[in-house]
Parts: sequence; C-alpha cells; structure tokens
Amino acid sequence: MQAPNLLRLVYRNIVVNTDPGSLIILIGLPGMYLIFFGFGFQSLASAGGSGTAYLSYLTPGIMAFQVVMAGTVGGSMLWADRRWGMLSQLLMGPFTRLQYLLGIMLTSVLFGLGGAAVMLAVAYALLGSVPTNAVALAVIFGSITIGSVFFGALMLYISALVKSNTAYNSIQILLIFVVNFASTVFYPLSSGLPIALRALFEVNPLTYVADAVRGAYLGNLTPTDALQMLVLVAEMVVALILATRAYMRSDVSYE
Amino acid sequence: MLIAREHPLFAAADTCSAVTEPRLDSETLTGDDPVVVAEGLRHSYDRRHFALDGVSFTVRRGEVFGLLGRNGAGKSTLIKAMTTLIRPTSGTLRVLGFDPARDGQKIRQRIGVVQQGESFDFTTVQRNLDVYGILWGVPRPEREQRRERLLAQYGLTEIRKRRAFDISGGQKRRVQVAREFMHDMEVLFLDEPTVGLDVIMRRTLLDTVREEVRRGLTVVFTTHNLEEADYLCDRAAVIDEGRILVLDSIANLKQLYGGKKTIDLTIGNGAPAQFFTTLAERLGPGADVTVHDHSAVILTDDPKVALSKIAELSQTRGVQLEWLNVRQNTLEDVFLHSVGHRGEGNHAGP
Repeated sequence: MQAPNLLRLVYRNIVVNTDPGSLIILIGLPGMYLIFFGFGFQSLASAGGSGTAYLSYLTPGIMAFQVVMAGTVGGSMLWADRRWGMLSQLLMGPFTRLQYLLGIMLTSVLFGLGGAAVMLAVAYALLGSVPTNAVALAVIFGSITIGSVFFGALMLYISALVKSNTAYNSIQILLIFVVNFASTVFYPLSSGLPIALRALFEVNPLTYVADAVRGAYLGNLTPTDALQMLVLVAEMVVALILATRAYMRSDVSYE
Repeated sequence: MLIAREHPLFAAADTCSAVTEPRLDSETLTGDDPVVVAEGLRHSYDRRHFALDGVSFTVRRGEVFGLLGRNGAGKSTLIKAMTTLIRPTSGTLRVLGFDPARDGQKIRQRIGVVQQGESFDFTTVQRNLDVYGILWGVPRPEREQRRERLLAQYGLTEIRKRRAFDISGGQKRRVQVAREFMHDMEVLFLDEPTVGLDVIMRRTLLDTVREEVRRGLTVVFTTHNLEEADYLCDRAAVIDEGRILVLDSIANLKQLYGGKKTIDLTIGNGAPAQFFTTLAERLGPGADVTVHDHSAVILTDDPKVALSKIAELSQTRGVQLEWLNVRQNTLEDVFLHSVGHRGEGNHAGP
C-alpha cells in the first residue's frame, strides 16, 4: 500500500535534511546555548526574582527556541529545492503545490517537536527531573507545534520572496538573532527595558512560546498564558496566509 | 507534413496533412489517440513577447517526438506547458486527454520529466534514486531492484556513495536520467537530456530510451543535436521564435528539399560581405543560400551549375575559397534552412 503523497514528501524532507552537519547545527546549537549560558550565568542570575535557578529558567526557553530552528529548516528547504531544481522536479511529479507546502510545514513541526524532545532529555541529564504530567507535556508540545508552524511559515514567506542566496542567509541570521534575544528565551521581560524593545518582546511569537513552555515546565501556568496562546495562534494564521500566498505566486519553473 | 504558414514552402505544401483532429475527452481516450494535442498554443512570460506563438502539433502514442531548435526557441517552454509547470497564455492543450490547467495532477502521475537544468537532493547518488522511488510510491523490493539495475546501466555503481553535488557534470546528468526510470510512466519528457554526456553514455541513454519506446513508452525529446534526433525520433518539429516551422517524420524532413544537394562554402575572412548576396542572385530561385559569417550552406537542384557560378564569381571578385564541399542533405540542413527562412538577415536570396 502506498503512503499518501504528503507523508512521502515529509519522509523525503527528513531524509535529505538529516545529514550529520545539519543535525549538529539544529540540535547542537540550542544544546550549546543551554550548557554554556545555563552554567555560565547560573552564578549571576536568579531569574525573574522568583528564586528559580537560571538553568531551570533557561531550559524551557531553549526548548522554545527549537521552533525558530524548525522554521529555518522549512525556509531553507524551499530555498534549496528551488536553487537545486527539486521544486520544479517535484511539481512535475505526482504532487500538488499545496502538498509540497504542507510537506514543508509538517517537516518543520516534526523538527521542532524532535528538537524539544532532545532538549527535554538534555534537561533531564542536567537537572535530574523534567515534567511528566500530561497537561504540562500537552502545553509544551502544543505550543512548540504552533510556534514551529509560525516560524516555518515566516521563513517560507521570506524564502519565496528573496531571490539571492546571500540575501536569504543574511536575513535568516538576522532574524534568528533578533527573534531570539528580543524574547523571554534567555531573560524575563523587565519593566526597565526601553519601550521599543519592550514592544518587540511583546509582539514576538517566540516570547509566547517561551512563556507557555516555561509555565508548563515549571508548573506555574496562568490565565495569561492561555491568552498568549490565542495571540500566538492568530499570528500563526496570518503567517500561514502570507506564506501560502507568496509561495503560490512564486516562480517554480526551472531555467 | 506540417509547415508554418509564413514558410516559403507553404505554397508548395499541398501534401501537408493538417494536425489530426484531436479527441479531447480523457474518458474516451484510446490507444490510438494522440497523447499530446496542442492547438494555437501561446505563452508569454512578460505580456509583450511570446515564447510560444501559436504552436499546434500532436504527439502519437508510442512515438519519439523531437523538438528541434536553437537556444531560446521555445522548446523548454513547450515542455513546461506539457508537464503542467506553466499555464499557457492561450490556446488548447491536452496531455493524455487531460487539460493541464484543470487536471494537472492526473497528468503528472503518468509522466516522467528530465528537466534541462540540474535537480538533485543534497544526498548521495544512491539515496537520490531511492528517495525518488519513495516519492513515486515504488514498493521497496521493486525500488531496490530498479535502483541496482539503473546504477549499473548508467555506470553509477562506483560513485553510488558520493554526494550528487560532488560528481562531474556528465555523471550528474546520468543520475538525473537514471532517476527518472525509478518509476513507470506513459510519457517521458526529455529536455536536452544528453548535454554533458560523453559519446558512449549518450548512446547508452538513447538506446535505453529506444528500448523503453519498444515497450510502449511515448517520448517527447528536445535537442539541438540533430544527429540525436535523427537516431532517436520518429517525427520532429523544428521550432524557432515560438513557432513550429516544419513538422514531419525524420525521413520526410530529409526529403523536404527533394533531389537537392547541399554545397558547403567558406570564403576568406577578408572577402566582401556582398559576395553571398551576389552569388544568391546569380544562382537564382533554384538555389537556397543560408549564410553564417563567412560560410554558406547552399541547397541547389543543379550542383554542377552552382559550382561553376561559384568559381566564376570568386574569380571575378578575387575572393579566395577556403572550403567547398558537395554532399547529400542531412537533418541539419533542414534545420538550418528552416530557421534561416525566419529572417535575421541570415538568408541571402534573390
């Protein structure tokens, strides 16, 4: 029996993206953040004034950070497929444009969830405990899923619009930097921040993912987290619409 | 034989058969119906110039149909339209009885395409074939069997573990062609598949295609290598500036100029450019002169008379003849003369 087209595309996306180099970057980079920042700032910070050890504060942040890495997988996949002729080849094959798009989004989500699971394992090794209750895990992996779709769509949007490889890579690096550090991944949102920076924190979807994962991880979810999830879903829908439109209009033809 | 209306031979083309009246309904498509029917196909990328400008033809089931033309003639655009990658601006197109605009996926499930440019996954040669088989839903035992056969057939066994991006241009081309045979298809579109291949591999590829055609595969094949077209194709269309200039069986195309013979002529670099114009005037309407820089290809009914006029003119003008050769027509002559008639100042005639 044949697997559906979408699953075959996802399988292919995973296979061609799981070479050792890609895996080291995808999983190693967040892992290194966790180890270096976690232990490096442990002695300096007692984050959020709540007495939480910085490593415990940072761990869910780094899990949330996986959604950005997952997003770059999606964007890079479209870029590479277009650059190396596989987009046109696939679209002259048995697949529809929509199936290709969904294949990339689903692959991004799987990378996000896989990365978060690996970070959970790393956290267990470092801290000796991780949340095991069903609600906490559902919130963690649910928000990782939504965040992965958002960043997958965002990177896909950029990938569909940008024509040069250098420009795409530069935008990707800049975006990772800004999104990462203008969020609550590494430190809490402080009232002492400049207004513009504070606004950036508050519209950044990664902040919502990090807060939700952290709330579930540390066992202190609040009604605000539910509201933030709604905002995150709304941002995800907008990003999906923009990405779909840009991708559907993009030139898929080969030279 | 199909000849474009503006072609000089049009008036004499009373033996032309029009494009077969198409049966457009996929439900009633039979084994004898054409697999591709194009009528008045036009396509513009910029709404000003037409890459396809009123193209009409049919591809019959089980034949190798060649599209011959220069770079930028419209061959690849036509392939892209037939493989549903682009939607023609106007005209009618049916592939396997389906409308590409409405039933693209139904067409794509039954065709194979080797595109002109590179297309690879960033992985090894072997895995490229494997993954492609998986994408096409080929069951594992069959996939492995096909993979091994194709790796051997295309001389890829030695490099199976190397990344597809690290191998030579010719090897890449072989991987691309081999990969397409990982799945079954009814129509195979080959967009200049032999570019970069050495002579042996080129012949291997053409023979492989021939073998598949014997088993019932229909092939649409673009090339500007006329020897290949001669070797492989049953029928061919010469396309230029988005229009089909001539379309017929290879044998008939070669007979297109009847009993005429071809004279290849090259004059010295310093010779005046008007030499060929004057020569064409002296040869009269019985000869057809196509000029390329300091060379000309002359189609003539009477090579003896033509040779004497060439000798006479070169003597009186003091023009040195560097190369002179009389030979039978080839497909290349058909191509050169068809394209030459499209203008661009290449055609010197009275």
